[in-house]
Amino acid sequence: MKIEVAEEWHDDVLVLLPIGRIDSNNAGAFESIVMRHINGGERYLIVDFSRLDFISSAGLRVAVLAMRALKATQGRIVLCAMRTHIEEVFRISGFDRIITIRKSRDSALDAVTGPSPAQP
Amino acid sequence: MSNELRITLPARLSELRDLAGMVEDFGDANKLPAPKVFAINLELDELITNTVTYGTFEPGTDPRIDIHLKVECDILTLTMEDNGSPFDPTVDTNPNTSGPLESRSVGGLGLHLVKNFASRISYEFVGGKNRLTLEHDLKPA
Repeated sequence: MKIEVAEEWHDDVLVLLPIGRIDSNNAGAFESIVMRHINGGERYLIVDFSRLDFISSAGLRVAVLAMRALKATQGRIVLCAMRTHIEEVFRISGFDRIITIRKSRDSALDAVTGPSPAQP
Repeated sequence: MSNELRITLPARLSELRDLAGMVEDFGDANKLPAPKVFAINLELDELITNTVTYGTFEPGTDPRIDIHLKVECDILTLTMEDNGSPFDPTVDTNPNTSGPLESRSVGGLGLHLVKNFASRISYEFVGGKNRLTLEHDLKPA
């Protein structure tokens, strides 16, 4: 099943906005999109969740894969603008401790390009 | 719409979308808080994915999942039954939720989420079916 993902660029930062749901049906499609960008050389990635209503553990897997791939290329990924219940999914999974999550897009842009290492 | 919803589905992931829509309609009709509707849809996604991916079914059986949602006395109960071989998802899977990135796996995370979103969870194998009951308190304790 497909997923609609809007793409925006801020200089060399790619912002992906998945729309609607990331569930076990379409997490694979989302993974393909994310990995295509990383394999294509994108190093600074923001996933803006402002247009996402739902995520399950299948979606968390994509975040882990993206982080691992970006670690190898000294890239960075920052997530932002999550609705409360989606933030809860990341918190319960303990992913909030290994992945950078920011409230707003602006703050995510600072974190992804800032001098301090954004990734633990 | 009443305070109960019963759905029987073939055990297929492609059923999840329509199901999520029905749960949302049920939530609207019963004025359920949005986080509870989210919790139910998350649990259904994780549990149905587990059944479809790892469930084993006797040859000749038609893999089916029965879902029952009910709101009563400020408790929202989700009961899910399948006709697969006995499997108790309430036994502890203990996923690693605190180590560094390298040690994280996503296996077991789905059930970990389910256990955290439900207030109470119980399992039994009755009448040749796995039955999982998840209760959600609608009023804070």
